[in-house]
Amino acid sequence: MEPKLNILSDREMLDIDQASRALLWEVGTLAENEEAMDLFEKAGAVVDREKKLVRIPDHVINEALAKCSSCVRLYDRKGGEPLIIGGDHIYYGTVGIATNVLDFETNEYRQVICDDLKDIVRLSDVLDPPDFILVPATPTDVPASIVDVIETKILLTNTKKHFIAEAQNRENCLKNIEMAVEVAGSLEALQARPFFSTLVTLSSPLHFRNDGVELIIECAKHGLPLFIESGPMCGGTSPATLASTLVMANAELLSSFVLAKTVNPSVPLIYASWARILDMRAATCSHGGPEFGMLRIGTTQMAKYYGLPSGGGGILADTKSIDVQLGMEKMGTGLLPALADTNMVVGMGLFADENAISLETLVIDCEIAGWIKKVKKGIEVNDRTLDLTVFKEVGPGGDFIRAKHTRENFKKEMFLPKVMDRGFLALDKDPEEKSMRKRARKYYSKMMETYTPPELPDDIDDRLDAIINK
Amino acid sequence: MNTDEYLNKIIEGVIDQDEALVAKSVEEALGADIDPMVIINDGLTESLKKVGDLFAEEELFLPELIGCGEIVTNVMEKIEDKLKGDGSISKKGLMLIATVKGDVHDIGKNLVVLLMGASGYDVTDLGKDVPANTIVEKINELKPDIVALSALLSTTMPGQKNTIQAIEEAGIRKTVKIIVGGAPVTRAWAEEIGADGYAEDASTAVVEADRIMGFA
Repeated sequence: MEPKLNILSDREMLDIDQASRALLWEVGTLAENEEAMDLFEKAGAVVDREKKLVRIPDHVINEALAKCSSCVRLYDRKGGEPLIIGGDHIYYGTVGIATNVLDFETNEYRQVICDDLKDIVRLSDVLDPPDFILVPATPTDVPASIVDVIETKILLTNTKKHFIAEAQNRENCLKNIEMAVEVAGSLEALQARPFFSTLVTLSSPLHFRNDGVELIIECAKHGLPLFIESGPMCGGTSPATLASTLVMANAELLSSFVLAKTVNPSVPLIYASWARILDMRAATCSHGGPEFGMLRIGTTQMAKYYGLPSGGGGILADTKSIDVQLGMEKMGTGLLPALADTNMVVGMGLFADENAISLETLVIDCEIAGWIKKVKKGIEVNDRTLDLTVFKEVGPGGDFIRAKHTRENFKKEMFLPKVMDRGFLALDKDPEEKSMRKRARKYYSKMMETYTPPELPDDIDDRLDAIINK
Repeated sequence: MNTDEYLNKIIEGVIDQDEALVAKSVEEALGADIDPMVIINDGLTESLKKVGDLFAEEELFLPELIGCGEIVTNVMEKIEDKLKGDGSISKKGLMLIATVKGDVHDIGKNLVVLLMGASGYDVTDLGKDVPANTIVEKINELKPDIVALSALLSTTMPGQKNTIQAIEEAGIRKTVKIIVGGAPVTRAWAEEIGADGYAEDASTAVVEADRIMGFA
């Protein structure tokens, strides 16, 4: 059996479902965008145009949920099998928004530039996991008005893995799609095997921003997958109980699903969340505490309650350096969602309270994800693994290390660390020499030797730039 | 094919842990009249050096290192059986090995036995928890070139020192080279107790033995 962990009982999930529906009907959600109000009205919601308030009745939510798939298939450009987002599949990805990088050479923080994003994408391409790449950093050396489309270009030209793109408005969302079509050959080819999804971050509490609405509408129109995240902060942008934070995260996601499914019933949707707490000392949102992992199990359970593909933050850390706190936070927030079968865990590489990324943390997070994946496989108990032959061969008092059985099984049965040090304590050597960080740096250099850029037409840069500069 | 090509095929076979291929390649090399000692030293033993390097670089794991050692041992036995008595096979020397008194750990010591044997040494393994006087008796009896002493615990390390003292007191210290190893053992400790060599793990034990025997 696979190890699993729940934090909500069936009864508690029903209670959260009912409270979320009541919230959307009795309180409603703000939708300042006219087009969104039209769509909600079309779906059957009650819209107060003056207050820009949308109240969604139960049956409208049911209709939207009835149009959802239990699984979304995300493709890459290598032509392999898709990532199957749903059920108990778990995939790991990077995550965006960091504008600072802990420099590999100087070990000092500085602002992210396009070359950093390129390096991080290339490292993400050779490491396994990440299974997919959510724009892992935000360059600061290009105009803010086009940074999202530049990110998409860097992703398209440096990796063939599935990626999740950002867009700040309709215009840039359409440019992302246009660039992807340029690489795919046609919109039909892209729709048949969507190799990128679009990230939508909802704003709390209960408030549709223009940009979010535009992305939902455009991607839904094109039938391209949406990774929709709600991220209320308990005690800040949601009430100060974890349960009501789950209610709000859920209500926001359900209302966004109504919007997307009204545009196009076949748009693939992923229910993702970053529901978290506001730290009551620093006034920052915390991604490394126990509540983050607990809320991730909660939001994942709610996704599964509706039979939806799930995602959310994980392998995250608030710490500002690559230290003991980093290991503790990332393992905790990585393991808990995995035990709940969160289908897409996003967070690899990110630390410093969502503000920084580094090549070393990305390597370390790959190791953490591997550790967790091993746990998720459970202990295989069957005739093969219980076979007594090897006991008989080795006999009492013998050692198993030399047995052929060991050679045949150790790679299947054991997690083989790439970065963790397990050597003996050599008193005549510097113990720091084998620190995880140093080993991560070494592994980075080794892995980058295996990188090859995607093969693309010679003029692809010009063609993509022409779209960006339209 | 020239000699190097025959030898490279043997080396690749060992690294790929393909015993059938190694055996076949050795047959081919013997058939091509390549000196059996060249096959052993520059083919089989050389392959284990490469395997040791890959192990040190964390490309190979312990069971694979052992698997390669066993392949070479098996193939080498076949060559020796075939050419027994015709004087074309010579050994690098005899190693006497033991885990010292008070210590019952022998997994690491057994690996040294395997790799030393596969690298052209005759090895006599006295086992674990071996008292110093037994080791002295065996030196007198077998006249080894190297005596290897293993200790896994910091509490049993003094057993290495006591054994070396017993060998000195018996007046036979100059007849053997002594090499020590085991997880807590350091080169500084080896020097302190008057050993001739020190090895961090099984594959460096071979390198160290070759060094103190003058083969490297």
